[in-house]
Amino acid sequence: MSPILAISGLSKQFGGVTALAGVDLAIEEGEILGVVGPNGSGKTTLFNVVTGVHKPSGGTVLFRGQDITGLKPHAISRAGIGYTFQQAMAFAGLGVLENVQIAGEHARAGGTANPWPTPQALLDFVGLSALGGEKAGVLPFGSLRLLGLALALATRPSLLLLDEPAAGLNDRETAALVGLVRQLPGHGITVCVIDHDMKLMQMLCRRLAVLDFGSKIADGPTEAVLADPKVLEVYLGGDL
Amino acid sequence: MKEDRRADLFESLRSLLPVLVILALIALVPLFSPSNRFLSLAISAGINVIALYGLSVLFGQTGILSMGHAALVGVGAYAAAILARDFGIGFWLALPAAALASAVFAMIVGIPSLRVGGHHFVIMTFAFGQLLAIVLTNGGDYTGAATGLDIAGPVTLFGADMTDLTRYYLMVVAFVTVAAVASWAIIHSSYGRTLRAIRENEKLAASLGINVGRHKIGAFVVSGIFAGISGVLLAYFLGHISPSQFSSFPSIYLALMVMIGGARLIEGPLAGGILVAFLPEVLNLDPVQSRIVYGVCLIAVIMLLPDGLIGGIVRALRAAFSGKPKQETEDCDAAEVRQ
Repeated sequence: MSPILAISGLSKQFGGVTALAGVDLAIEEGEILGVVGPNGSGKTTLFNVVTGVHKPSGGTVLFRGQDITGLKPHAISRAGIGYTFQQAMAFAGLGVLENVQIAGEHARAGGTANPWPTPQALLDFVGLSALGGEKAGVLPFGSLRLLGLALALATRPSLLLLDEPAAGLNDRETAALVGLVRQLPGHGITVCVIDHDMKLMQMLCRRLAVLDFGSKIADGPTEAVLADPKVLEVYLGGDL
Repeated sequence: MKEDRRADLFESLRSLLPVLVILALIALVPLFSPSNRFLSLAISAGINVIALYGLSVLFGQTGILSMGHAALVGVGAYAAAILARDFGIGFWLALPAAALASAVFAMIVGIPSLRVGGHHFVIMTFAFGQLLAIVLTNGGDYTGAATGLDIAGPVTLFGADMTDLTRYYLMVVAFVTVAAVASWAIIHSSYGRTLRAIRENEKLAASLGINVGRHKIGAFVVSGIFAGISGVLLAYFLGHISPSQFSSFPSIYLALMVMIGGARLIEGPLAGGILVAFLPEVLNLDPVQSRIVYGVCLIAVIMLLPDGLIGGIVRALRAAFSGKPKQETEDCDAAEVRQ
């Protein structure tokens, strides 16, 4: 089966700095893929280029076989790729329910069967239904992260990209988030998570890809990748 | 679900009611045989309020401030004058034509300007406003140069001459009502929600499939339609228009009015327009003094009443009724609910 997202030779230069140096990565339908790497390894740049925040310097991104390289963020979202940000965000001045309503109004027509037909159902899913009437700006940080997830899901994506979804969450909140994300493939949503928290990645992902200095240095089953000497060197330093 | 929607509609209709009641009372003013000076001031205020309702969509909902809004009013006014002079087109046909002209001008200004964010847009609109004044001043006979243009056409409605001051006053009140309802309808539509999303967070809005650039230009164009109609009413009311009426100072006044009144609330533009028009009259100020007072008002509003005067009054009333001062977050809640 062809991958849902096929990234090939993707590169990005910021002035003289190479953030991505020809990355190849395939995301298979129905999986939860983890992309790990130390700070500055190009994880977020990879997301930003795929989601249209930055234009790539080279390479292509195919989504379900269609070339989406360099499309604007809103077009990427409408094509069926949802994404959340490293900084948890919502429309702070608007109500929680109104946030989800807005997010659902610009979703692509058609698409997969919607597991959450109403904004309320989506709030139920992420466990925020009691807070629907509140302003998003007053939510505690953990709830704000969940609202961010609900907003991305409201666009009815078939691929969801999560950028450090558990950053700033406590253990209980992280466990709740992991529980939610694990359900997504069952609803027809493929997930790609980027993070450097190995514990989280081990909980979520059967497959990991590792970035270092803008290049992919490992890609495979989680256990095998974590045992890879190259990966250990990146994370633990080389010979001392 | 259906009942929810009905409840929502009822809730939003309730928010329109105070404005309609106030406008109905305003329409009764001629019964008290006001002076011609009062009526003239009120008509000018009403004409401004129409433009302010457009500005409230742009600034209040979308979060974009235009400092060249009088230029859009000017395009409408000059369109009406030129159409009357060259093509014999009267008031009623000039309305849609001028609205279109201002909308197109807004789009031409908006496309390059809205590519740059925030403060840069403010400066761009300011520059375009000045540019228009310069073009009109140097337009020779076509724009009447610095002297401007006369517009002498009669305004009739069902055969009745509307140029009589009281009748024109009532007609302007009717136009203000239409503008208020139109602005209310935008605020309560999914389009209004989209604009608020852009105001709150452009990056997030784009990630949810909202074409931020197109909607920002769209909001500017919508505000241009209001401005164009305001311009036609102004041209036919004054009978003479000149470039200086549409340059930077009038633009600053418009922005000031919408801020003082409160851009996010449906009562805001009405309050701002009336207040700024009548304040110098009530306090008996000369033009220089009134500018100083306006400046002080603007600073006071920005520092003390971020939701504008009406937002502040709503907040004070809520605090009074609940018996204790509300928290900051709940205050903006009040503002939002009343939209």
